[in-house]
Amino acid sequence: MAATPQAQAQASSAAVRGRARRAREEELLVWPDLVFIEFIAAVLFTILIVVLAVMVDSVLLDRANAAVTPNPSKAPWYFLNLQELLLHMHPALAGVVVPTVALIALGAIPYFDNSNEGQGEWLSTPMAWPLTWIGAAVGSIGTLLLIFYDESKHVQIYEWIANGKLNADSQAEGFHAWPHQLDFMRGLRGIQNEIAWPDWTLHVPLGDVLRTDLLGFPRIELDWNIPAFLVEQFIPVNTMIGLPLILSFVVHKMGIAKTKRDHMILQFSGFIAVYITLTIVGTFFRGEGLVLGPYTIFAHE
Amino acid sequence: MATSERPQRRTMGDRLYDAIFSNRLWRSIFRSGYPNTPRNQMLAVATNVFLHLHPTRIHRTHVKITHTFCLGGLSFFLFLGLTITGVLLMFYYVPSVDRAYEDILALETDVRFGQLMRNMHRWMAHGMVLMVLMHMMRVFYTGAYKPPREFNWVVGVVLLVLTLLLSFTGYLLPWDQLALWAITVGTNMVGSAPLLGEPNRFVLVGGYQVGQAALTRFYTLHVIGLPLLAAVFMTVHFWRIRRDGGLSRPL
Ligand code: HEM
Repeated sequence: MAATPQAQAQASSAAVRGRARRAREEELLVWPDLVFIEFIAAVLFTILIVVLAVMVDSVLLDRANAAVTPNPSKAPWYFLNLQELLLHMHPALAGVVVPTVALIALGAIPYFDNSNEGQGEWLSTPMAWPLTWIGAAVGSIGTLLLIFYDESKHVQIYEWIANGKLNADSQAEGFHAWPHQLDFMRGLRGIQNEIAWPDWTLHVPLGDVLRTDLLGFPRIELDWNIPAFLVEQFIPVNTMIGLPLILSFVVHKMGIAKTKRDHMILQFSGFIAVYITLTIVGTFFRGEGLVLGPYTIFAHE
Repeated sequence: MATSERPQRRTMGDRLYDAIFSNRLWRSIFRSGYPNTPRNQMLAVATNVFLHLHPTRIHRTHVKITHTFCLGGLSFFLFLGLTITGVLLMFYYVPSVDRAYEDILALETDVRFGQLMRNMHRWMAHGMVLMVLMHMMRVFYTGAYKPPREFNWVVGVVLLVLTLLLSFTGYLLPWDQLALWAITVGTNMVGSAPLLGEPNRFVLVGGYQVGQAALTRFYTLHVIGLPLLAAVFMTVHFWRIRRDGGLSRPL
């Protein structure tokens, strides 16, 4: 049923009244004020790109050859964060689940933080800047620490201090090694490899639980390996979900983050920091065999 | 705003002005005179299909460079630049595993400005990924995703994905070792997904290995499929900015 003209007029005038009145004296004309800025930005950028293109040639390596795998093989730089994650958890998690969930979470930001607080101005809420810094610091340092742990750097540092020498000969007499009782803490894999798991935990037959064949997909033979599951899936997932939650909780308790916008700034800044840190590590610190160490992307040939 | 459109006494300049901006040719193209009066300035924006992306007036804070750093606009500008250089590159490039690499080599050595076009295309592609990511951060930190702009943020996330895919599909085309293995590593990530991963990877690559089928698919997506999709979503993106009342403002 169409509304009566009267009702319609009422509704629309209410809408007009509800909208903030446009302050004409606060407004500028798009021509020339905006159009000229756009024009100048376009000119400057064109110059920048032409200069860059004249000075730096794009790489072109040897002809593609499926028989020769370069070492390292790397994805494009904006995916190196995922490739870095790949080294620390189950490939399905790093390559598909994490990016999918991250994109959905990114898209959901406005539906979570739907207040009008801090709208239309740079970091205008009272705690915006501190929260950005906290998120960025925790995200980047936390990521680095996790990578260092998984790469057993703490073991290296312990042996360095214990022996008073970096990379001391581990075969030599009187070498102080990382304590055996703590072998399971050599890195994440330590939990899987350095603990005497009973045999049955390595193959828990779940057999026909998932009848994917009924849907026309390949059949999945689930042979559950509990230690591998812990190391490749359970711990990474809980780390990736748990640490941000703990961060929000602590900052909330400290009274720094109060509103949804506050928590959003904290989490988004943390996410960006993690993203950048993973990208930098994946780009500049993964060389041959993807071993952690300095690596220059321009070192081809 | 009571500026009259013509001064009282006609000087030489006025006559020249009229000769240029009031003749039938100019009027047939632009409808309004040279935008030197507020009325003509607004008409210039409102009657031009390209400038009509903009409103005729905007709030003074949005003209400040530091509000947007022009990042969204630059993303769009790079998209346009990539389209132009991309079309030029297409003149010389055949997406065949037997020819692609040689075509790129020829482009670099035999084609006048070929190397320059390739370099510009590649730098703009990297630049666009960077600009879009930074634009997203700008929008976030200015709180510009808040109601009524929620959905435009979602459109933005789709644009981000399309930008990454555009760059990723382009990566394979030179058919060198970098291209082949980057795409092999990338598509293997897709393949690692449970259940649908391997079928998806197979469709993407068109086989078990990155080969001619993959090159054909990536090429088609890169030069027509994804740019069209991106153009559609950009249209929606820009339209929604206008519909949502321009850029966001503190309430
Ligand atoms: C190809 C990619 C994109 C292009 C060409 C583009 C273009 C633009 C342009 C020209 C503007 C006007 C203001 C400005 O320049 O900042 C804008 C605003 C906006 N963009 Fe994008 N954008 C893209 C991607 C994104 C992404 C990834 C997001 C977020 C996830 C996003 C969300 C928004 C929102 C919410 C606005 C409104 C901002 C406001 O009201 O202040 N866009 N976009």
